[in-house]
Amino acid sequence: MRKLLAILFLALTAAIVYLLNMPLMGGKVPAFGKLLDPVNGCWVSAEPVNKSFDLNLDIPGLQGPVSVYYDDRMVAHIKAANDHDLYMVQGYVHANFRLWQMDLQTRAAGGRVSEILGDKALKFDRTQRRKGMVYGAEQSLKEMEADPRSKQMLDAYTAGINTYIHQLKFRDYPLEYKLIGFKPEDWTNIKSALLLKYMADDLTGYTEDLPLTVLRDALSPNVFQTLYPERLQGSNTVIPSDSVPQTASLKMPVAPADSIAWAHLEPVDFETPDNEGKGSNNWALSGSRTRSGAPILCNDPHLGLNLPSLWYEVQLEAPGINVYGVSLPGAPGVVIGFNDHISWGFTNNYRDVKDFYAIKPASPHTYWFNGKEVAYTDRIEKIGIKGKADYLDTVHYTIHGPLIYEDRFHGPDGLKKPLALTWMAHRPSNELLALYLLNRSTNYDEYVNAIHQFLCPAQNMIYADKEGNIALWGQGQFVDKWKEQGRYVMNGTDSSTLWGQLIPVAENPHSLNPSQGYLASANQTVTDSTYPYWYNGYFYEFRAWRINQVLRGTHYATVEDMFALQNDVYSVLAANVLPIMLTHLNVAAISDRERAYLQYLAGWDYKLSAESIGATVFQIWWTNFYNLLWQRVIKGLPEQLMPSPERTMQLMKQDDPILGNMDELLVASLKNSVDSLNKLKRLNKLEWYHAKNTSVNHLAKQLTAFSYTDLKIGGWGNTVNAAKGNHGPSWRMVVQMGKDIEAYGVYPGGQSGNPGSPYYATYLDKWVKGEYYRLNFTPAGKAPEHVKYSWNLNPGK
Amino acid sequence: MKLLLSIFSISVLAGIATWFFPWWMIAVCAFIIPVLLNLGAGKGFVSGALGIMLLWLVVILMRDIPNQHILSSKMATIILGSPNYTVFILITIVLGGLIGGLSGLTAGLMNRAFRK
Repeated sequence: MRKLLAILFLALTAAIVYLLNMPLMGGKVPAFGKLLDPVNGCWVSAEPVNKSFDLNLDIPGLQGPVSVYYDDRMVAHIKAANDHDLYMVQGYVHANFRLWQMDLQTRAAGGRVSEILGDKALKFDRTQRRKGMVYGAEQSLKEMEADPRSKQMLDAYTAGINTYIHQLKFRDYPLEYKLIGFKPEDWTNIKSALLLKYMADDLTGYTEDLPLTVLRDALSPNVFQTLYPERLQGSNTVIPSDSVPQTASLKMPVAPADSIAWAHLEPVDFETPDNEGKGSNNWALSGSRTRSGAPILCNDPHLGLNLPSLWYEVQLEAPGINVYGVSLPGAPGVVIGFNDHISWGFTNNYRDVKDFYAIKPASPHTYWFNGKEVAYTDRIEKIGIKGKADYLDTVHYTIHGPLIYEDRFHGPDGLKKPLALTWMAHRPSNELLALYLLNRSTNYDEYVNAIHQFLCPAQNMIYADKEGNIALWGQGQFVDKWKEQGRYVMNGTDSSTLWGQLIPVAENPHSLNPSQGYLASANQTVTDSTYPYWYNGYFYEFRAWRINQVLRGTHYATVEDMFALQNDVYSVLAANVLPIMLTHLNVAAISDRERAYLQYLAGWDYKLSAESIGATVFQIWWTNFYNLLWQRVIKGLPEQLMPSPERTMQLMKQDDPILGNMDELLVASLKNSVDSLNKLKRLNKLEWYHAKNTSVNHLAKQLTAFSYTDLKIGGWGNTVNAAKGNHGPSWRMVVQMGKDIEAYGVYPGGQSGNPGSPYYATYLDKWVKGEYYRLNFTPAGKAPEHVKYSWNLNPGK
Repeated sequence: MKLLLSIFSISVLAGIATWFFPWWMIAVCAFIIPVLLNLGAGKGFVSGALGIMLLWLVVILMRDIPNQHILSSKMATIILGSPNYTVFILITIVLGGLIGGLSGLTAGLMNRAFRK
């Protein structure tokens, strides 16, 4: 009896320990024993608030000593004797602070999330594979490894990350690995290439080709042109009119006949476009418009707001390079920043470089092209799934590119028609070399030479230097398209619809020291109609109108003025449409209930300020009205692709008959809005920042305890300070290029990726308030200041 | 006296063992010491539970206090839905104590069942 009891308890204890050692319920419940163990589990991530980061370490593979200074904001200043050591230590530093994020983002880019989360991520992974993310990364990697400079950069960076990973025990893993239940794997060069494609997908992945194809067939040509103009008139273009090159070395190809050019789609479901505008701002003022007489460059790229932050702030110094700015954990070099001579910043260019072709299958293994049967090139994508056998997805590659949707993998809402994807992100390109050269550029010519290597994602690249020059290039690799080529799904059976010649990058739209004394881009239309090549794109105008309006009136700008403009929340949309809405509103038809909210709009300054209630009332009313308006005009059609708010505003101002009678819609939409507003009022959330709920979420969305929500910040996609729900200014930078560079910046996060670290979200408060840090740039040859911790790294065995 | 010796021995041995081996060494340590000391079931349970609780409490406090509860509050939110780190620490320790106690109890039962 006693023996039985003893054995029973032995079994019970063993069973409990066993259960606590593994994740349960398909990974929903972590392995609690492992996780809560104070010696090896989550508690290890409790970083002492006053932890010293000083370190002396021998790193095998280093060619010489490297020092890393951390200033009081934990910005790393890496100083090496050669390029190899510089990038190796950048890899080591990135991994040290951001390993989990780098790992997750590159797994996501390459469609490998199922390995961690099981088959609930299979659809996501298949989508990533089928749009050719891995294929594209492989193409670019070949290009990067073909150039000795970018190859060394990548190899050294990868070695640095792996040096860090190899010294880790389970105990040292970043917290998220323990919570989700996977472990770091060795870094490889393809991972960095995938990360760059992840950015390319984020910035050039958006498309309207499918819904436009349906709309063009469904609407009369006149209505279609009115609602979806090929190019919006009245844009304050990225490149001022007098700067556009008037000559083109290539002729525009002749468009094939419509019957050959286009494919037609039956009603399908569409990616929901986010019409409220996203993107980024950058601008530069020449010395003629600044108080100091030195140019000022400003940039705030708008991207997904997440923790750990997309950006890691760093200074890189070695012979031939001394650059400060933000880097992407997972890629070597500095993406946006400045050096001793020049400064630069990026906004997304939004020219369309992603087109679809309808494929006509001839057999399961062939398709029709120019009257012949052509065999697909198959690429087998092996997707690992946690707890299950691998999933094999055969992707057919055509002359156009991968067959993204087909019978075996429907597009959203069951699009069965086989569509192939032609995308600039599939083409070989070496953006790393562009960054390598850009980081080292000392003048305009070197800057131009550097950015000409940057092919995808196309960016509006702003520039200012110490010699007083300002410039802006709409840089990327573009195709000499025939008129409307790629605006709709094209017929994939005829060679006349193929992408043609590449436009020489030197002919990309650009401007150097324009007469207006400033340059600005905010994802608006790139050029006016004098630009000789045809293009379309997904442009946003509101922020550009506002920035141009302010800069035109700016003559003695200080950096503080630039801070104010980056944080500007004036809504051009509201200023233009609200007076029309109020004029047309039939006051007799509304009740006291509605009238109570209208009071907030009386005297409202059109600013989407954090605490404004008028902003909330306007935004909700406008959204309701806009939806009702277009539902009526394009009834029965896919409603997701509505005319842009910019176009809607123009039509309203012209009182265009296509809008019909707005009056009853205004009353109906106001009544609809009051329900939402009353709900907010009950929750005491009428103030704009509560209503819109700008949040910076942890990359693992279920870990809400690591996220920050309800941030008290104004703005929206259509204001310069484009702080939306989960998207907004990811790095605000202002650089005055005087004799001594004066630089300021802030991003919504912190240098450490560890949620248990005091440096996890250190900068968030300042970012919310619109305040800046003075950036602690050490000019070449000067001794570093504000050194808080230092690393002495030496070559080791 | 034997009980106190057992408690401290378990704490020290489990601390060393889990530094080098996985967390479940706490169960092994809370078993071995009562076997070596030939404790009964009751004392086995108490020494296993208190030994592991003591170790875990000390390690947690060493990590949590200098961290000013940043991590423990967030983990408490994830696991308990509220940032009450005290409760989270208690739960962690009770879990460790339960495993240690069960191991010690098993050791005690074994001592009585299999030793002459």
